[in-house]
Amino acid sequence: MGNNVLLVDDSSTMRKIVGRSLRQAGIEFDNIFEAADGLQALEVLEKESVDIVLSDINMPNMDGIAFLREKANRANMKNIPVFMISTETGEDIIGEAKSLGAVGAIKKPFTPDMVNEVLGPFLK
Amino acid sequence: MDISEKIIESTIEIFTTMVMMDVSVDGPPLTASGTLCDTITGMIGLAGTHKGVLAIHIPNHVAIAITSSFLGMDVDEINDDVRDAVGELANMLGGNVKTILTQNGRDINLSLPSTIAGHEYGFKATTDVDLVILPFKTEQGRFLVELQLEK
Repeated sequence: MGNNVLLVDDSSTMRKIVGRSLRQAGIEFDNIFEAADGLQALEVLEKESVDIVLSDINMPNMDGIAFLREKANRANMKNIPVFMISTETGEDIIGEAKSLGAVGAIKKPFTPDMVNEVLGPFLK
Repeated sequence: MDISEKIIESTIEIFTTMVMMDVSVDGPPLTASGTLCDTITGMIGLAGTHKGVLAIHIPNHVAIAITSSFLGMDVDEINDDVRDAVGELANMLGGNVKTILTQNGRDINLSLPSTIAGHEYGFKATTDVDLVILPFKTEQGRFLVELQLEK
């Protein structure tokens, strides 16, 4: 059995790169869902079974912090683990993300090995 | 280490780890980016304790090669993929510059990345700024990374 992963980033390039990194890291998955902002991510989580979310922070419409805040208020999705993948790695921002339920962060730029190291323990 | 050296370090790291393309510094810093011809510029604004813009100016043929390598697929014209990839390069460089300028992440805000492209254009500040313009080379050609910080 694999994993269902949701990639949230306003850059289609970055969604492709993260997906490629997951494959290169040898992480097995059944489905990769994509969303371009927090609002779209919430819609996907309402409809699909997702095991893990990888989310950017700096996005239009609903950024990664607002997404975490809204997700935490929805009982059907609040326990799905979220990792932030972002250039935003300041202690205040990552601290706020973690206080809202993010379980970890990966800094851009990253390598497949870095992705595997952070996500591996959380995937089936 | 001054900010130029850190931008060089960041640029090389981004291209090595994510674009999968070798880049190196192509001579000393410039004092102006000059007239940009058949080029695409990705840029991201900084606001807060430091105000300014981080830009990457890439000639079209180099941007196409970079995007092809970044995405691992053939790209043969300036399209949405190229604009998105160049914007994301600016985003990653801007994030690194933010990290250089601030430690806690809250006293500088980044804009969303944007791109401009054209046959012939200039990229100039309307206020008094400190300029860092660094040339880099790839096998396909040269590009510039420019940081403008308001004095």
